[in-house]
Amino acid sequence: MTHTMTKCVLFFIASIMASWAHSEPWSLQHLPWGDPDFQGIWTTATVTTLERPDELSELVLTPAQALAVEQGMEDLQEAIDNIADGDLQAGGDVGGYNSFWMDPGTRALRVRGEPRSSIIVHPEDGEIPYTIKSQLRFYWNAYKMLSRENNPEERPEGERCTVGFGSTGGPPMLPVLYNNNYQFVQSPGHVGILVEMNHNVRNVRLGGEPLPPQIKPWLGDSIGRWDGDTLVVETTQFHPQQFMRLAIKHQVMMGSDTRVTERFSRISESEIVYEFTVSDPELYTEDWRGELTLRRSAGPIYEYACHEGNYALPNILEGARQKERED
Amino acid sequence: MRKTTAVIALALPLALIVCWRAAAHHAFSAEFDKEAPVTLKGKVTKIEWINPHAWIHLAAEQPDGTTVAWMVEGGTPNTLLRAGINRNSLPIGSEINVRGYQAKNKSCEPACKANGRDITLPGGGKAFMGSSGTGAPKDGSDPRDR
Repeated sequence: MTHTMTKCVLFFIASIMASWAHSEPWSLQHLPWGDPDFQGIWTTATVTTLERPDELSELVLTPAQALAVEQGMEDLQEAIDNIADGDLQAGGDVGGYNSFWMDPGTRALRVRGEPRSSIIVHPEDGEIPYTIKSQLRFYWNAYKMLSRENNPEERPEGERCTVGFGSTGGPPMLPVLYNNNYQFVQSPGHVGILVEMNHNVRNVRLGGEPLPPQIKPWLGDSIGRWDGDTLVVETTQFHPQQFMRLAIKHQVMMGSDTRVTERFSRISESEIVYEFTVSDPELYTEDWRGELTLRRSAGPIYEYACHEGNYALPNILEGARQKERED
Repeated sequence: MRKTTAVIALALPLALIVCWRAAAHHAFSAEFDKEAPVTLKGKVTKIEWINPHAWIHLAAEQPDGTTVAWMVEGGTPNTLLRAGINRNSLPIGSEINVRGYQAKNKSCEPACKANGRDITLPGGGKAFMGSSGTGAPKDGSDPRDR
């Protein structure tokens, strides 16, 4: 057989094998020690918000509504980008950046293929069920947090580079305007979840014992177990300074003792269904639940080394001092 | 839970403040002065591809022919890398136009600071402008992206 002929035959066999492999239905793979394989890089980016917008009443969107939601985001970005030539306007809602700098997702959330109007699936109105007292506390805390500029400790955690803004670090891990990627790494007894922003790792100890109560990690203390092929993670003992999680797409108040139960179910090569329940009778009138889809994302995740050039924090504090001098 | 009218009356203005200010890694309105829009033109002198925000330095041309050092804040390098931007995308010496808002800290030490809301190349070429399918990052959920 000539060299060319050999190559041709090998190529032919490889093509058949590749097409045969491609036609195999997907099945959940297991790691050598038996745990289901969730490893890889995943994203939560979606235009859908945690709570349901007023104009939508049902959880499940019709295809036309889903398109309208996606078109709405596109129109918003167009409006942000296409402002008149010439000098910018002073005052009013001037906006921060054009859409190039952002990565808020392009599509409505779909869970098992079903388009959704909110991440919250319970209560039925799609809103966090704060008690009246905790609702008022939320607004007071938000006001305090964003109006104090005396020192770094008074500024929000995102600005201080301890954790990402909002609840991107979680749990629950919620999408924000950019950097919505997570990497899962597994070893016997552990599932590590690297949060892109701010490069925090949540080390889920499978069957582990809770940390002593005085230890309160930024992303809480996570204990995991397998329920069949579903990863179940219980988290509490949140750092007290993680109590206000503010972002454009969600605003959540949680306590150190709030308990979050997450369920991760891998349903295909490219999707993990992510369900969570948030419980705290002190803050909410009932438990609230949400659902998201973690989708495969192209890697790698670059290190979001927030401290390396955080000019924003000194700029904010210097700006406040300058204003004091002027007043 | 449906909120009472009284709570809504109190909550709405605060909610708007909260939502507006929490737009990025840091509160835009805490760092930048919305009453101080700036329009700058000049050559890029240095780019800092650093987290949490990239900073582009330029020598901004003044009417008298001199230049003033400015540095303008952009987005997070992680997002830029996913959008295909890298250190060679905007060479040192490139002429750029910047529209943004000056920092509340106007000391101009070591350089005047602003956010780079829009950064464009002369002649209408776009650098760091999104939307309209011109470079806005993909999130992998749209089958048309693949």
